[in-house]
Amino acid sequence: MRFRSFWVVLLCVCLAITLVAAGCGGGKKEAPTHGTEAPKEPVKIGGIFDLTGATADVGVPYQQGAKAYFDYVNSQGGIDGREVKLIDIDYAYDKTKAVEVYNKLVKQDKVAAILGWGTGDTEALKQIIATDKIPYISGSYSEGLLNVAECPYNFLIAASYSDQARIALKWAKDNWKGAGKPKVAFVYNDTPFGKSPIDDAKKYATEIGFEVVADEVVDLQALDATSQVLDMKRKKADFAIIQGTSNLTATVLKDAKKNGLATKFIGLNWAADEKVVKLAQDAAEGYIGVIPFAFPTDNVPGLAAINDYLASKGQKLEDQTQKFVQGWASAMIMLEGVKLAGDEVTGEAIKEGLETLSEFETGGLAGPVTFTADSHRGIEKVRLAEVKNGKFEYLTDLFGYK
Amino acid sequence: MRPKFPFVMDCGLFTTSYQEDMAVLFSPAAKIKVAAIIAFFLVLPYFVSPYFISVVNLIAIAVIGALGLNILVGFTGQISIGHGAFMGVGAYTVGILTTKVGLSYWAALPLAGIMAAMVGAVFGIPSLRLKGLYLAIATLAAQVIIVYTIIHWTSLTNGSAGIVIDAPRLGSASMADDRNFYYFAMLLCLTAIVCTVNLFRSRVGRAFMAVRDRDLAAAVMGINLLKYKVMSFGLSAFYAGIAGALLAAYLRVITVENFTVEVSIQYLAMIIIGGLGSVMGSIYGAAFMTLLPIFLRSAADFFGSFLPNIAHFLLSMQTALFGLIIILFLIFEPEGLAKLWKDIKEYFRLWPFSY
Repeated sequence: MRFRSFWVVLLCVCLAITLVAAGCGGGKKEAPTHGTEAPKEPVKIGGIFDLTGATADVGVPYQQGAKAYFDYVNSQGGIDGREVKLIDIDYAYDKTKAVEVYNKLVKQDKVAAILGWGTGDTEALKQIIATDKIPYISGSYSEGLLNVAECPYNFLIAASYSDQARIALKWAKDNWKGAGKPKVAFVYNDTPFGKSPIDDAKKYATEIGFEVVADEVVDLQALDATSQVLDMKRKKADFAIIQGTSNLTATVLKDAKKNGLATKFIGLNWAADEKVVKLAQDAAEGYIGVIPFAFPTDNVPGLAAINDYLASKGQKLEDQTQKFVQGWASAMIMLEGVKLAGDEVTGEAIKEGLETLSEFETGGLAGPVTFTADSHRGIEKVRLAEVKNGKFEYLTDLFGYK
Repeated sequence: MRPKFPFVMDCGLFTTSYQEDMAVLFSPAAKIKVAAIIAFFLVLPYFVSPYFISVVNLIAIAVIGALGLNILVGFTGQISIGHGAFMGVGAYTVGILTTKVGLSYWAALPLAGIMAAMVGAVFGIPSLRLKGLYLAIATLAAQVIIVYTIIHWTSLTNGSAGIVIDAPRLGSASMADDRNFYYFAMLLCLTAIVCTVNLFRSRVGRAFMAVRDRDLAAAVMGINLLKYKVMSFGLSAFYAGIAGALLAAYLRVITVENFTVEVSIQYLAMIIIGGLGSVMGSIYGAAFMTLLPIFLRSAADFFGSFLPNIAHFLLSMQTALFGLIIILFLIFEPEGLAKLWKDIKEYFRLWPFSY
């Protein structure tokens, strides 16, 4: 008995020593990158993306776009000769994991700012972001992140989901030719992302003379939405606003066609990309999307750089989707903040840099973005596009609801 | 005490009183071992990076949750797929009490455990009549009902937007600091471990095990089945509630997505991998499940530098790998990591004569 316990103690001591040694080693390795702010040190930006989770369908091209922009900037000589480095991690749309990943990026890799992803995790992190002073550009444009007093380090580079829904509703109202009050239904998934604009949108819809007839909850990865679609048919919805991703939207559109719905579907930005058209095929005809970012097929100057970059890698711009452009534009705006931060690249400096952006042009990839110290609502305008012959065609230019 | 020669082995430890015989730490070496472990964890945060501390914090929270589930599944032989939801009850209790009622976090913490225990006990009542798969489905209903209530009772829970709480403070120490939180979480974790170990030396714990081994026989022996089954559910949910309240303090944002059915299943996986009916197993399992994705990610990073495609492949394999590990454990080591560790120790103890 004694002898056995002796072994255990010995083992524990050994384990402790190795662990402590490893910890010390790790600590020492970190020290120089943190302590010395040599001017040629690379600027480190973190990335929290979804490559394998529920929103991977749009998450993968977004991540590729962001990575591509960093690569592009480095190939152009970096920012003031400094290399920029994107340390990106897949968090599989899992919020607990997002926190762990965030801690790694901030505490171990010591990144100056982060490109994030989902609404749920961005909302979950907003407190910690503010304490750690990490500027955060997320793939989520939730209205909840716009309170500068509560989340001073979150920046929205596109119209918030609530604004997008309001703009879609305004357009629907202006183009309503039928008699009586138009009826609108909301199709969304039961996550913070899905529910984010719904309350605001309902309020606005009633204000401008819509009748809100239905709430249809569809799962992000649902393969069938027949019951929800039939419910909308029964309630005779004239318009339906979709807040979801490509998969959800395609499912809804297909089932709507199958059941002969006359409803006009309008999807907010994550529900409107080429993938919806690809998945829903002819069911997508007439579907309207809210488009805050350019399509690779658009004729805007900003795409030239993407085209050149992809050509140098032996890829083609036509193969990329709008979400790639979105990732590229997010990285572009973030690095513009880094550029304006000056030599001492800290979270606070990047925040101040971003807050000086006024009508910042991304070459048409995103709308002109303006941040001030009191408002991180980058833009309030979007374009609408309708699917015609399997392609999105713009219905409007950039416009707001006010 | 007579002097001892080194390298001479006793043929056993002998006790001369009941008190000595019933000690938790039976041998002097065990006492040294436990003291060494505690000392190690006390000084740990001064030697490692803050990220490492944050990982240990997540493990400590998972250990408390896993201990609770092991009391129910491993020791009482009931099953619960609602553990994540019970954690949610604890977290939301803290959130509501601190933001709407204005209690301090320290007062809300025990109340969170009690609230979760009450909810857990209510959902444990069907266990008197239901067994096995039927009970699993009944507890799954608890999970769905609780999550649904949280999402749709917006006036109380803010729905899917969640509740934001301030970091709890103790004097001048804010729990927003990882190191402070570490000591707080470790203290609770240690308390939970000691309580659980002692529980199974008491009448209640033995009654739980009697119910697990054969509930009819237990009833014949005079164990009130309803009482002990419900008590086990309540106790298990109490741990879950405390774990949820800790998670709330750590994340400072309480949203329903941290308490979904996936979380419940993850906790089940922890105790299966760690070892059903083993206190140490709960700890190993919780640590294993938290560390595996981190190891996989560093492996992916490492291999990704030579073969860019393999990184993405490894990351997508993560869920499949979890499944594979559970299957392998169920086939080759149903008693989990705890047994595996014991076997390793035995091997070295008996070497070279492992008869």
